[in-house]
Amino acid sequence: MTEEKAAPASGSIMVVGGGISGLTTALEAAEVGYEVFLVEKNPYLGGRVAQLNQYFPKLCPPTCGLEINFRRIKDNPNIKVYTLAEVEKVAGTPGNYDATIKLNPRYVNENCTACGDCEAACQAEVADDFNFGMDQTKAAGLPFPMAFPSRYVISSQVKGTDDEKRIAEACKYDAVDFSMEAQTVELKVGAVVWATGWEPYDANRIDNLGFGRYPNIVTNMMFERMASFTGPTEGKILCPADNKEPESVAFVQCAGSRDENHLPYCSYICCMASMKQATYVRAQYPDAKIYIFYIDIRSPGNRYEKFYNMVKEDENVFFIKGKVAEVNEDPDSKVITVVAENAVTGEKVRQTVDMTVLATGMQPTAAANKLPAELNYSEDGFVINDFEKGGMFAAGCANKPADVFSSNQNATGMALKAIQTLARK
Amino acid sequence: MAEKYLVEPDVGFIEEVAGLGGQDLKKCFQCATCSVACPIAPDNKPFPRKEMIAAGWGLKDKLVGNADIWLCHNCGDCTSLCPRGAKPGDVLSAVRAYAVADYATPRAIAKMVPQPSKLPILLGIPTVIFIIAAILTKVIFGDQGDVIWQSHFIHNYLVDIIMIPTFFGAAGVFALGLKRFLADIHANALAEGKTTKEKIDPAGMVKALITVVTTVLKHSKFNECGDNKDRSTAHMMVLYSFIGLFIVTNCFFIAEWILHIEGPYRQINPVKWLGNVSGVALVIGSLLLIKNRMSKEDQVTSYWDWQLLVLVFGLGVTGMGTQMARLAGLAGATYFIYFFHLVFIWCLFAYTPFSKLAHLVYRTTAMTYMEWAERK
Repeated sequence: MTEEKAAPASGSIMVVGGGISGLTTALEAAEVGYEVFLVEKNPYLGGRVAQLNQYFPKLCPPTCGLEINFRRIKDNPNIKVYTLAEVEKVAGTPGNYDATIKLNPRYVNENCTACGDCEAACQAEVADDFNFGMDQTKAAGLPFPMAFPSRYVISSQVKGTDDEKRIAEACKYDAVDFSMEAQTVELKVGAVVWATGWEPYDANRIDNLGFGRYPNIVTNMMFERMASFTGPTEGKILCPADNKEPESVAFVQCAGSRDENHLPYCSYICCMASMKQATYVRAQYPDAKIYIFYIDIRSPGNRYEKFYNMVKEDENVFFIKGKVAEVNEDPDSKVITVVAENAVTGEKVRQTVDMTVLATGMQPTAAANKLPAELNYSEDGFVINDFEKGGMFAAGCANKPADVFSSNQNATGMALKAIQTLARK
Repeated sequence: MAEKYLVEPDVGFIEEVAGLGGQDLKKCFQCATCSVACPIAPDNKPFPRKEMIAAGWGLKDKLVGNADIWLCHNCGDCTSLCPRGAKPGDVLSAVRAYAVADYATPRAIAKMVPQPSKLPILLGIPTVIFIIAAILTKVIFGDQGDVIWQSHFIHNYLVDIIMIPTFFGAAGVFALGLKRFLADIHANALAEGKTTKEKIDPAGMVKALITVVTTVLKHSKFNECGDNKDRSTAHMMVLYSFIGLFIVTNCFFIAEWILHIEGPYRQINPVKWLGNVSGVALVIGSLLLIKNRMSKEDQVTSYWDWQLLVLVFGLGVTGMGTQMARLAGLAGATYFIYFFHLVFIWCLFAYTPFSKLAHLVYRTTAMTYMEWAERK
């Protein structure tokens, strides 16, 4: 008991994950004067939000909001950002944690001006994970044009190849450094906020929905990248099988969500995401027909309900109450036929469309690999916050499926929880 | 949805269906995956999504007289894909069990058959009957020599005098039930727009029946169900052995009563071959069905199902057992096993209209009706 009252070893907070929740937590804590370590495994900040084309319901680009946050980080000396960093272990008690962080090499140092010469010189290509492998990208480059930190990153794949020499010679600023090695950093922090976010549910596991078998079936996150001007098609929505402009698109809601065989819970965002994506199609192809197959449309709150009503009024958007349980592909034309029962009319619907989007849900990152700390989880891998014990908290989608708006609310709350841990002395 | 529909939930019905193996029916959230997953559901008003909501709301009238519940061959494809674990396949199976009892008279027996606690009474009836028959055999026919022949234990004439009225009694129960059943499913089909034919014409029904019997014999509909492949052979073996044994029984009936040829018949007799082949098929088929049931973890196997499986298996085993004991020269064992064989046969005849085996009649009728009604 006396230990609890002892002064914390450090007045610092570690935020794990640099997505929208992590950014918010870090900024909220730092801007009231606390020292924050922001640890991100990717070479850039922004997480899932950085991959989005538009936010719902305002349909504005998320990069706009991210930019403001990046600006705030740049201006705030209290925040120390680690990218390409993975937390290996967190041990200790509230107010007194020892964290071990592994920093993976970027092979590019702070001299980088993002001039792009290394990318031009590099010949090797790798699958672009940022675009869910839909295209290839140079092994040296920026993850995406708006990436922050705006510093190139080189894949370790080029080490020992001719590209290594080419890249090193191309750099005029002495920014390329292939001697970099993974290093370990030890941090002493008083509180930890886990904002480890989510992964799109693996659509390959939904056997009856044909993903992976039929090229014209994509996931909602892939669709988001296709609609983005920084995506594989530079923002043009095209059928993956033949790059045709789709005349019809079906959205399959609850693809692997609210399903005991997959994710038993509602992922909260997919209804809104599909309706938002319907507006992408309508904007690009005014005559395209859109079919949204759903169990229940979940558009919580006044603003989302308004958005739903707006989309519903569109005469080219058809809502069909009934979950798609079967898909077929025409082997010649590659068009997809989705099958559902319209539960209102009691008729089976076989709708043939050029493209099908599976509204897959979100799975917490911790579902696959538990976080390296003593935390409680729900059956589905969401972190259950133990406010009684305190010290470590989960924010955003590490805690529950949520949209950006609620993630930010939650992240702000968790920043305060972290501060309270430090202030309890 | 212009016309109003007043929902009158029958809570007792929901509970009964839940008790018959449909305990998860309330988990359904009407996503309609099941209707698509079902390989044999028609495009117009497919099942079992609408049956799931009717069951959940206690709308007995929409289920019991609904031929669709009988079109299902219980392959379990819907249950496998169900996102809620509501087990639509088992719910339909439970509704069928309820419907069997609903169309059977007398109600008292219909109520007893699905209850495990009433099993001693149901088995007690044939036990008493055949004990009396054994005593009567001794009294009327006296000692009939040392040859081991079951007729010397309970005389074949007595057996037939007991079995034949039982058989026709059961047929009568079916006839009464079917009359009501057919009227109900026709009314339901008209109400739900499954058919446009106003009046049932007998000639058309007979024509449809011929088509359906072929389908049943080939198990072609049964095989359309994806998960049924492994079950199909076993189910077919049981069906064909029943047909075989029915033929054998009739042949020996003629031999006894008309030609006055007394058994036991020789093993080289072709009728005997048919009997033996059918008997073996019955044992193997029922064992395979039991194995299949036990291997399916996501399927509920209720007392209703076990009853029929054990009866079919018991029939085969006691039948073959009687013959083997006789050929082995074990008089006591022969008569002992034969006694149970008779009890099983009597149960088969007497309780068929009240048990799961009634599906033979109701499913065939429903399929015939749908064939006639041109439901697509």
